[in-house]
Amino acid sequence: MRRLIVVLAVIAALGGLFAWGLLRGRPDRNISSNLIGKRVPDFEMPLHRRYWQEYGETFSLASYLGKPLVVNFWASWCTPCFREAPVLEALWKQYQDRVLFVGIQTQDRGKTAAGESFLERFSLSFPNGIDDNSRIGVEYGLFGVPETFFIRADGTLAYKQIGELTPQVLQQQLEALLR
Amino acid sequence: MIASRRLLTLLASLLLIGALAQQVQLERQVFDIGRKLRCPVCVSESVADSAAQIAVEMRDIIQQQLQEGRSEKEILAFFQERYGDWILLDPPKRGLHLLVWILPVVAAVAGAALLAVFVRRWLRSSGAALEVDEADLERVREALDRESP
Repeated sequence: MRRLIVVLAVIAALGGLFAWGLLRGRPDRNISSNLIGKRVPDFEMPLHRRYWQEYGETFSLASYLGKPLVVNFWASWCTPCFREAPVLEALWKQYQDRVLFVGIQTQDRGKTAAGESFLERFSLSFPNGIDDNSRIGVEYGLFGVPETFFIRADGTLAYKQIGELTPQVLQQQLEALLR
Repeated sequence: MIASRRLLTLLASLLLIGALAQQVQLERQVFDIGRKLRCPVCVSESVADSAAQIAVEMRDIIQQQLQEGRSEKEILAFFQERYGDWILLDPPKRGLHLLVWILPVVAAVAGAALLAVFVRRWLRSSGAALEVDEADLERVREALDRESP
């Protein structure tokens, strides 16, 4: 009898572990950036045509340091990016005197036209560029899209949001950057 | 004239074969390093196995760095610096990750010890003389006598 109880307990424990593994979702995607507190990598990227007049053809991160930055990675095929684009535009309009927003189209090779349509659809007025070979994404340790990096004026990374931004999180992180 | 042309063709062929062999060797190295890195946008797939765009770009980066003369260790460190230990399919042998390496060995040793105990107990019990009732023995003898011609 005692042996049976032990066997059943072991089976129940293994079954529980298996069920937990199946139901816990994907916690391995909730990883803090290795860059937190460190100076973020510099990068240069071509901007989408619609921003050339105001920001030039190429965006260089180094030229804009000294002001807090919000760097948002997106792709033209990414549904959560569609949902967060209006949130970014709304808060950009609110904070543009104090913080620079930059969008980077990544993991989207050869889809410049689709990117233009995305920008047109949401009338994004902050500069957006193209990371056609995903090299900037790799430099920033990007897991997927969307991801947003909150960079202090001194160029160090304060926070990284994996996945869709809500207005609350965006506002909270913007205020933290400005504190 | 013909001899020198043949020599040139031979040299060109040798050079071509050498270049091809070098390319194959490079691709093999890219594959070997890619197998040690986790594809950031996939589930349980290595950079070498994945067709995701980022995995393709990462393979390009590996190739480029190999051509620049970087070692495998340096290339793995490049990705680890950006993605943390998460990017390595073999967890590093330090800190909490050590458990992943030590626990299977501990479990194997414990399993072997347990098996040895059980086998010893079983051997001991099978070797011991059976205690048989005299009446039962008598019954067996009678049965054998009946069956023997």
